[in-house]
Amino acid sequence: MFAAATVQQTTGESRMTDLALPPDPRQHLSSATTRAAMRVQSAVLIAAREFLGVHDFTELLPPIIGPVTDPGVRGSKQVDVDYYGHRYKLMTSVILYKQASLLAFDKVYCVAPNVRLEPLQTVDTGRHLAEFHQIDVVVAGAGYQDAMDLAERLFRHVVQRVLDVCSQDLASVRRDVLALKRLPEAPFSRIPHAVAVERLRAAGHPQSADAEVDWVGERHLSDSAERPFFITGYPKGSRGFYDRESRTTPGTLCNFDLLAPEGYGELASGGEREASHPVVVERMRETGENPAKYGWYLDLMRGGVPGSAGFGLGLERLTRYLCGLPYVWQASAYPKVPGRVSP
Amino acid sequence: VTGLAAPGFPETHVRERARRGAAAVFPPLDAYGRVVFGAQNAASLAEQRGDPLDSWRLVPPVFVPHRLAKLIELAREPGHADVDLNTTIGGFAAPVPMFVCAFGSTEVASADLAVRAAGQAGRLGVPMVIGENLVPVDGYGRSAVEGRVERTMLRRLRAYADQAADGLGGVVVQQSTEDADAEVWNLVYSDPHAAPLLRSGRLAFELKVGQGAKPGLGGMTVVDAADAGRLTGRYFVDHELYGGERALRCGVPGTFTEEILRQQVRLMRNNFPDARVWVKLPPGRDIATAATVAWAAGADAVTVDGAEAGTGWAPSVLLHQAGLPLGECLRRIGRPSGCLLASGRMWEGGRMTRALALGATAAGFGRAALLAVDEDPDEGLMRLVAAATLELRLAISALGKYAARDLDPHDLWWAPEPPPAGSDNAMGSGMATDAVNLAAQR
Repeated sequence: MFAAATVQQTTGESRMTDLALPPDPRQHLSSATTRAAMRVQSAVLIAAREFLGVHDFTELLPPIIGPVTDPGVRGSKQVDVDYYGHRYKLMTSVILYKQASLLAFDKVYCVAPNVRLEPLQTVDTGRHLAEFHQIDVVVAGAGYQDAMDLAERLFRHVVQRVLDVCSQDLASVRRDVLALKRLPEAPFSRIPHAVAVERLRAAGHPQSADAEVDWVGERHLSDSAERPFFITGYPKGSRGFYDRESRTTPGTLCNFDLLAPEGYGELASGGEREASHPVVVERMRETGENPAKYGWYLDLMRGGVPGSAGFGLGLERLTRYLCGLPYVWQASAYPKVPGRVSP
Repeated sequence: VTGLAAPGFPETHVRERARRGAAAVFPPLDAYGRVVFGAQNAASLAEQRGDPLDSWRLVPPVFVPHRLAKLIELAREPGHADVDLNTTIGGFAAPVPMFVCAFGSTEVASADLAVRAAGQAGRLGVPMVIGENLVPVDGYGRSAVEGRVERTMLRRLRAYADQAADGLGGVVVQQSTEDADAEVWNLVYSDPHAAPLLRSGRLAFELKVGQGAKPGLGGMTVVDAADAGRLTGRYFVDHELYGGERALRCGVPGTFTEEILRQQVRLMRNNFPDARVWVKLPPGRDIATAATVAWAAGADAVTVDGAEAGTGWAPSVLLHQAGLPLGECLRRIGRPSGCLLASGRMWEGGRMTRALALGATAAGFGRAALLAVDEDPDEGLMRLVAAATLELRLAISALGKYAARDLDPHDLWWAPEPPPAGSDNAMGSGMATDAVNLAAQR
């Protein structure tokens, strides 16, 4: 499924065009592209709720602030909030609360807002927003393979609904819908991280075996794929403390990313969650975290939280992919591009 | 001069260098022709026995094949000015094998001196480390509401960047276990003020695993009652130690195992792909394993902070009685498998040359840098570096070599312990067994 082309070391500058950054709010909100994208996004949410509801998921409204949040990856910074003299954080993801929610229900989902002050070099990746939303899903007792199955079925359902109800909008943004219509023809590939690294190296890209697939590498894999695909088993040291380490292959995490084809890149991240209290504490140290600040979460872990697996599906990224838009900010009514002062 | 003092440190000599620069490498000029000079007496050498690095001597050879090679290259007899000191320190190009260590968050280091040192380090093009605890204690400095802007990290960053030499040096931002709460690295990595350094490949992050002055303990500062109240809950604060008006703030050392260190380094590389990764180790008995783990995980530099190091507040029991001397750390590491940096009581070219001969790529100034800028805020550090640079050139060329990387343990000799009375070996060879073993390792 991957072309053997050499990886293009595309620089930010060469990709930048006049359209690379959002216009003023009046122009953005009144543009036909924004309207089409927002209608598609609305259809995505309706379809996702429909699918998850039918499958016995309970929707919980996510918290917006808390004493700790997902420590995140790839250098993004959290936003501090003064909460009656205590330092609280805006949620970077709802991951810790998703696990806690399993004390109430076995199948939970949220449509969660996230704020991450991404590094400035993400301004021109076309796929980073400082404020974005995820459809966050978790299932008690599930493994990461189950979570991938679920993500694939949810994805297919959403795409089909959007094709059914948004054909005019897709036409108005000139989306080539043939690629979307061909999704049901084959299951999504599942490529181990180590294999993805080999392919990138074979294509001349110096991808580290110990790290996330970097943006250039991800773009290459995505460009050369015909349909969405999973990368599985990221190395320890590339993800948060909550992703469970494989018992059979130490150093490998039971997790995955879902990547879109056509160069759109990562749409979702997921995995099996670590539920053992002492292992979580050790993993926190391995990820440079100070366990002292995760008091409430560790108390829950010590008292027992069900093992689980789940994923977070980026809503704006999914909308961008479905509409075939060059930039993810086009899939947000009020886009916050990293480092840009915006309303 | 602020009244800064450094008991036990050769403060007078450092201050003289900060005033006189490279001329201070020699005795005062007015002594020329009137005073005769010779080696120090044996007693003063014996006093230095704490750190083998100080008791080893540089031993120039009679036969000098490296000099012949240089002679052929230059088509003339080489001199000390021909010694090439250009190097790469933890991923940063530098004109001399020297860098400025972290000063920590003590009152002395947080004041204007650190900013002065930053500006001069930038002008020199030598890497500079900014210490842990600064952001959680003093704020970052992006807005006045954060706290005392004059003491902040951002001011040091700017002072360095504004005066930085083209393509040389870099800024290294340290983070300790508790600093992670303030996301110091994430903050700097996404800060527009740090963007020029990041874009030019001159930003590094240093994982602080420990320090020389108090190995096994975290950072300590004495704070006033107001700060003590503000910091309680985030740190252990001893309010009783000094009777209430002042309090002792104690950082935690952080828990490390081989796997924790390995994964933390990998996560740094994963999360901050455009920054270099440095690791600072305390002078622990397992220093060789720790350094190897850090390099294998991808650290661009490992700094070994010998037991002689330190600028901050430390309890005497650890200051004087804990940790391996720097020389022993270097001996245990042997041939380094990555960029090895050495710090701890560095101020002149002799100790520095010995550290380089034992495998270090560069040596770091801590207290000496602070004293130098205290003596002369505009030129002190530059003159200190100039003096050490001249000494390095003189020492390396005397050893018949013309690049710091050519130094090796054969360039050193360690006087043997006096043999027991009546021993058959009373006329020992003069070459210590350890030195032979070390050279063999390399």
